[in-house]
This record gives sequence, structure tokens and C-alpha cells, in this order.
Amino acid sequence: MATVINRPIAMPPVQHPDPSPMDDADLLGVRIGEPFRVPFLKRFGVDTQLGTLWLGTWGVLSVMLFLAGVGVQILGGLTLVNGDLGAYAHYLFNIQLLPPDGLGPAKSLAEGGFWQINTALFAGSVLCWAGRCYERLMRYHWRPYLFFAYLSAILLSATIWVFRPLLMGTWAEAPAMGLNGDLDWAQNFSVLWGNLYYNPWHMLAIFFLFGSTMLWGMHGATILATSAEGSHHEVAEIKDMHSGSHKSMLFWRWVMGFNANPKTIHDWIWWFSVGVVVSSAIGIITTGTFVNDWYVWGVDHGIVAQYGDMTRDAVNQRPVPLDITVNMSMPRP
Amino acid sequence: MLEFEAVYRKPGNTLFRHLLGTDPFDWWAGRYYVGLWGVVSMLFTLIGVAVLFTAVGQYGDWDLWRANVHAPLREYGLGFSPFLDGGAWEVVVICATGAFVSWLLREVDICRKLEMGYHVPLMFGFAISAWVTLQIIRPLWMGCWCEGFDLSFTGHLTWVSNTGFRYQNFYLNPFHALGVTGFFLTAMVLAMHGSAILGTYNTSKNPVQEEANVDNFWRDYIGYSIGEYGIHWLGFWLAIFTLVVSDLCILTSGTIFYDWVEFWQFQHLPAFWLH
Repeated sequence: MATVINRPIAMPPVQHPDPSPMDDADLLGVRIGEPFRVPFLKRFGVDTQLGTLWLGTWGVLSVMLFLAGVGVQILGGLTLVNGDLGAYAHYLFNIQLLPPDGLGPAKSLAEGGFWQINTALFAGSVLCWAGRCYERLMRYHWRPYLFFAYLSAILLSATIWVFRPLLMGTWAEAPAMGLNGDLDWAQNFSVLWGNLYYNPWHMLAIFFLFGSTMLWGMHGATILATSAEGSHHEVAEIKDMHSGSHKSMLFWRWVMGFNANPKTIHDWIWWFSVGVVVSSAIGIITTGTFVNDWYVWGVDHGIVAQYGDMTRDAVNQRPVPLDITVNMSMPRP
Repeated sequence: MLEFEAVYRKPGNTLFRHLLGTDPFDWWAGRYYVGLWGVVSMLFTLIGVAVLFTAVGQYGDWDLWRANVHAPLREYGLGFSPFLDGGAWEVVVICATGAFVSWLLREVDICRKLEMGYHVPLMFGFAISAWVTLQIIRPLWMGCWCEGFDLSFTGHLTWVSNTGFRYQNFYLNPFHALGVTGFFLTAMVLAMHGSAILGTYNTSKNPVQEEANVDNFWRDYIGYSIGEYGIHWLGFWLAIFTLVVSDLCILTSGTIFYDWVEFWQFQHLPAFWLH
């Protein structure tokens, strides 16, 4: 029942981590840079210290593979514009390294070879960063939530770039490498497979994605609103709750009849953000493999009204729309 | 009631008591706070839901996914439409907007009661801005209530799909790109924050040491730890950024820009450095 309005100021945080055998075991285990203070940041309430950064074998490997990938990307792009740097800068957003046809090695660098090398380098870089993540988590004795959240994000990438192309039998199903490559892939992917909006896993992914933003809005706003009473010291609040957390909980209980607590709100946000990538991955892997037209699937399963006349597709015995007319005329002033 | 709740359940300090000296609804119903704005919000909700179900009954499709109250027909412009040609939609949109705004004011009352900041109602205001932009401001700008989206599950999906193709390729809308970036960034930062707390709560160390330990992890991992207050500041502003660019994304489509592919055509002009 004790209500503490002003939480006593805790002891100042320690600057440097305690020594650990895991740091000494790493050949490249050094912290680079000196802690650098930017007092201006205090204005926003965020930490003022930049650095230091742990080098570590996994991290060095990851960055080297990534930089090699950037090199291949630039090299491949330059071959597309015959080595003309000015043209490269001009078409920077549209330069794309296309994946090869089929699952074998590409015939030449230009016909998918660059893409295959780059995909391998990207995969290596991302997996080494996962190694760095796990190694640092163990160093600081965290439960490996961050590692598994990162793995689920890798799962989505791997589904788009590797697993689904393998199932479809051609690397050409994967996005091209380039700044607009993923945008073009996303647009074409949706149109090709009959409108992704009627894919229930896509619906669920958007629910989680918008839900993540909503939860950040709710959680961030709640903590900022009660931080005068120390509710942002969440690890401490889970152990011993004070008035800031009381108010956070009562606010939502009075508003909507339900509240989380300093621990369970983080269960909610962790599962919502992981839900985004997991349901996306399921939505991607089922598209073109098990379902070839999500609009027709939606009509079949009664979730969307049937627009216009339909007939049966001879091969799949599914209804398909007849006489699709797309009116592209747009009102202009 | 929660074990500490009685201390906080005090009458007074609401907007209306402040303005008029009295608030007839300053009490709780079960775990909910009622308040004058709660009653107003409920009235809007009841009217809106009644109109919604009446229209759905008239249209005849009660399926959860397909039951649809469609936007007014184009011929009625910004005027009132007959009930089944969009009049129901107009009433529901007015009622929903009223319910959202009174819900926001109810949140303000609760903030005042608990003597906390107004961050949550502010954030809810940004969320309401998305609804108001889609259903009121943009239709007003384009001169037709028919520009609003249908009120149903698959109806609004169809609207989103059609609107995207109407302006050729919505992925090339820069505000859409920023909005998607914002949505994915919030999800990523959310996962990082959730992992930090779930990864370190109730370990044997004292919480202050653990807090410093979290800082040390992030500094090792990415070279910067934003801090326990800072992470919530970041999430708060990321969510607001996402909502604002999403508003701009739909507000500029069909009003200022008509074709997001054409929008980028300037890049196919000869670059000055190639001449």
C-alpha cells in the first residue's frame, strides 16, 4: 500500500562493464573508441554517451561480409551502366541486380551471378550478426529474447530470399538487389498472386504491424506521462512497484477495463513485434506455392464479395473473374 | 479493485468539475471510470452501432467479413445521401468521430485524476487524425464523401487496394515509403525494448546494477544505449512520426498528386552532369 511519490534517486550507473572471461576469450575482443558525451542530447532525455563499441570476431566478420556485399552491389551496378559513374549516380535508385532463372548456379555474373554472390554475402553477414547478438547476450547474462526476436526477423528474410524461391523452383522469385528492387518485388508479388490484401496471413501481419505501432504509442506515452514518478525504471519496477507504475496500470484499467503490469506489457510488445515477421513469413511461403490467387481464395472462403461474373478455372477448378476491366482514368482538376 | 487502487479513487479534478463546478458522472462502474465524457462517448457509440446494424440489415449480408456499410455514391458529392446510398455511412462516421473525441476527453479526465501527463490522449489524438484524414479531410478536399472507405472488414481492404492502384503504384509514394519505414521501425525498436526488459528482469543482481548492465550491453552491441527514459521517448516519437507521414501519404494522393509513377519521372530527365 505504500505510495512513494518521488522515487529516491538511485546510485549512478557504472560506466564500464565488469571484466568477463568471455571478453578475454575473443581474439578481436576490444572496445573501440572512448565514451563521448553529447550534452545536447540531454534536452530530449536520451542518454548522452556515444560509444564504446565492442569489436569481437562475430561483429568483424559480419561487417566484412556486409562491406563485401556493398562492393559486389556497386561493381554489378557499374557493369550495367558500362562503368559510367555519372550514369550510376543518375540511375542509383533503379539499378537492380536480377536473380537468375532456375536453382543452379548462374550462367554468368551479369545473368544472376552478382545476385547469387550478394545473397550469400548478405546471409553470411546477417547470421554472423546473430552470432554477435547471442555472444553478447550470454556475456551480460540476458535471457536470449533479443536473439530469438532477431532470428524471427531473419526467418522472414530467408523466407523471401531463399525458402520460397526453393519451393517455387527458381531464384527468379526472389527480389532483385537494389534500392527499388524490394518495392517492385512487393508490388508485383501482390498483383501476380491475386491481391495480397485477401491473404489472411498478410491481414494478421498488418494487424501485428499496426498493433506494434499502437502499443509503442500506448506504452511510450504511458511511461513518459508517469516518468516523474520513476515508472521508466522498469527492471526495478518489476521487482518493487511504485506510484508511477500504479498510475500507469490504473489509467488503462479505468479507460478500457484491462491493464498489463510492468512485466506483462513487455510480453505483449515482444510477441506483437515477433508476430509481424512470423505471420509475414507464413503469408509469403504460402503464396504461389499453396494458393495462386488470394482474391479467388477469398471468394471461395466467403470472406470477400464476388465482383462481377465468375467462371471456373479449368486447371484448378476454382472460380476466376471474367472480363476484368480496370478503369485507370483518374479525376484531374 | 487492485490492492493499491483505493488510494487513487478520488472524486474531483475532472474537466467539467473544473469548468462548471459539478460533474454528475464522476464515478466508477466496476473497473471502468465513467465520467461525463464516458457517457457522451457511449451515446455516440450506441447511435452509431444502431445505425450501422440497421443499414447492414437492410443490405442483407450479415457475414462478419462481408457485412458492409458503403460510402456515399459519387452523385451526392458533399451533400446528404439517402440512407442506403450512403446516408448511413455519413451518420456512422459522424458518430464514430464524436465517440473517438469524447473518448480522448475521457482519457484527459483520467489523466487529471491520476495527476499524470497528457501523453496518452495526445497520442490517441494522432491516431484519430488518421481516421479524420481518411474519412473527413480528404473527402472534403476532393469534393465527395464517396472518397471515404467502406465500413467493413473486406470492404476497407478493397478500398485500400483500389486506392493504391488508382494512383498507379503506391509504393512509389514517398510518404507511404516513410510510413512503412516507421511501422517496421516501431516493430523493431519494440522488439529490442521488450527483449531488454524480459531478458533482464528479476535476475539476482540489484535492479540498479541491472539497469547499468543493459546500458553496457547496448554500448557493446551497437555503440549506443539510449537509456530507460530515452527508449520510451524514442517509441513515443516514432509512433507519432509514423502516424503523421501516414496522414500525409493519403492526404496528398488524389489531391496534389495523381500518379506516383509519374511523380518520379524527373529522374529520367537527363542529369546535368551527363552533359
